[in-house]
Amino acid sequence: MSMDRRRFTALMAAGAAAAAAPVAVEAARSRRVGEIVEGDDLPAREASWYRKLAEDRVECELCPQACTVADAERGTCGVRENRKGTYVTLVHSLACSVHADPIEKKPFFHVMPGELALSYATAGCNVECKFCQNWEISQFRPEQVRSAYLPPEALVEAAKRSGARLTAATYSEPVIFWEYVRDAARAAIKAGLAPTVVSNGYIQPKPLQEVLPLLRAVKIDLKSFREEFYRDQLRATLKPVLESLVLIRKADVWLEIVVLLIPTLNDSEAEVRDLARWVKTNLGADVPVHFTRFHPTYRLTNLPPTPVPTLERAWSIARAQGLNFVYLGNVPSHPGENTVCPGCGEVIIRRLGYQVLENRLSGGACPDCKREIPGVWR
Amino acid sequence: MGAVLSAATGSTDAVSAVKILFSPTDVVGIKLNCLGGKRLSPRPELVDALVDRLIEGGVSPGNIILFERSSRELERAGFSIRRGGDKPQCFGTDNDYDRQPSVSGSIGSCYARLVSQTCTALIGFGVVKDHDLAGVSASLKNWYGVIHNPNKYHDNQCDPYVADVVRHPLVRQKLRLTVLDGVTAQCHGGPAYRASEVFPLGRVVASTDPVAADFWAWRAIDAERVRRGMPTLEAAGRPPRFISTAASYGLGVGTAAQVIEVEA
Repeated sequence: MSMDRRRFTALMAAGAAAAAAPVAVEAARSRRVGEIVEGDDLPAREASWYRKLAEDRVECELCPQACTVADAERGTCGVRENRKGTYVTLVHSLACSVHADPIEKKPFFHVMPGELALSYATAGCNVECKFCQNWEISQFRPEQVRSAYLPPEALVEAAKRSGARLTAATYSEPVIFWEYVRDAARAAIKAGLAPTVVSNGYIQPKPLQEVLPLLRAVKIDLKSFREEFYRDQLRATLKPVLESLVLIRKADVWLEIVVLLIPTLNDSEAEVRDLARWVKTNLGADVPVHFTRFHPTYRLTNLPPTPVPTLERAWSIARAQGLNFVYLGNVPSHPGENTVCPGCGEVIIRRLGYQVLENRLSGGACPDCKREIPGVWR
Repeated sequence: MGAVLSAATGSTDAVSAVKILFSPTDVVGIKLNCLGGKRLSPRPELVDALVDRLIEGGVSPGNIILFERSSRELERAGFSIRRGGDKPQCFGTDNDYDRQPSVSGSIGSCYARLVSQTCTALIGFGVVKDHDLAGVSASLKNWYGVIHNPNKYHDNQCDPYVADVVRHPLVRQKLRLTVLDGVTAQCHGGPAYRASEVFPLGRVVASTDPVAADFWAWRAIDAERVRRGMPTLEAAGRPPRFISTAASYGLGVGTAAQVIEVEA
């Protein structure tokens, strides 16, 4: 989804209707639910993961960037600021984009097929992918993006009003609004909704483990299986992402992985093979892996879209490595969008883009051979 | 102000200095560094003095724009917001950036439209202060305030990012003058104001070379640190390496042998 940072796609009517809902966060001043926030009058709330250092410095303990931040400065994410030795998040409840999407759009293919997920984001990100599709919100600071004050309860009200059965922290990078993710997940559970997260997985273990029990499903963008790619294309590192994947898999949370294949940068047979082998060994054969198609954008406009044969080759390599559920993305109508039973080879869920055309799943199993198909189906 | 402008340009007087640097049709943007609030930002009276000299030198008052990242920062530093009309203007970039990023070396950023579109000439007006990550924030570092994503570029002591921001033709081809308010400076604990670390440097600096201005600020900060028994920035592990990077780009000179200090 490409968004203009000057446009706000929130469900404002829903926000206004929920104005009487209790505000669960401490704002710098009293704010009306749905109030548009533009400029530097941002809500500030003490961050949950940091430690104080000498001379009013702080060290952020949220993501592996582990920024040391002096007074009046911000971390790499641009949404956390040191105010005289107290580290604050400036984006709790400050949604810059809210929309009810099909869960297939995240993409989750093994989570409640055909349902809507109330998807939300704030400005900011802890890495800088040169190929970011949502850079107009992820690569800006919150005061540069038109946002609305939408505390967790109002978000949940908006979800229920839109008919969504899930929530999804997505679009930019949920790690940088992790306190909001945590509190929104609690509110969602209370309302009978399933909270999910779509993330780069670039997070320290402690905050991840603290929030994981609140989540039903997590999708991780594994950008590459090479450290140099993470260094050169994101200004980040691969190792913490792999550690996050293992932690998520060990938790009682459904996990899916997306790999955006970019021509010449991360699409070699060797890299795809290494990645698939690592997934099978460390996460298991049943974790779905989506290979998706790159389109030129942001700072990476000199490369063509990923050729479909490249995606198909990756699909074949991953299957040959023993992964049971491999998908292709951003290639509407391709058979790689379908869920196929690894037992008998029959199509169980047929998709067209984000649409579910047919769902033959029967009690979480293949209707033909009765093999259990793992996922969060209800 | 008139004296330093004259000395910086080798002119006999301020009017001549301004005429060397600017044409009457120029739209002159003056980038202030106001992060430190009223106690560690360019003094409004000094900025006014520069504006007066520009006007005396033939720049149209309405074509002078004082700016910073946000209007609120300017107000906190004691400046009044003015937009439009035939008097010098003063306002923040706020949300007005280019719609597409442009790449300069290691950075990819949307520049403030004031810089990319509106202004034909630029002046950097900073202070002389320590910066916890970059080492020094005076001349070149001030230009972080014209890109939308400076928070992405603070690793590796901001090197080579600071130099890359200024190397972009949008800045490099328009930057004519650097002024530093060094009446009060800060030798540690920056970029925010810290009362215990400020000292009366008592200098106002002007230079047509933004790199030389930073080199001078570095020396001034280190001299005070040594006087206080503190380690130099180099010894403290945070020398402003972006200065030599900027010099290597040809943005100016950054060695003791090359920088000439002229007392006005």
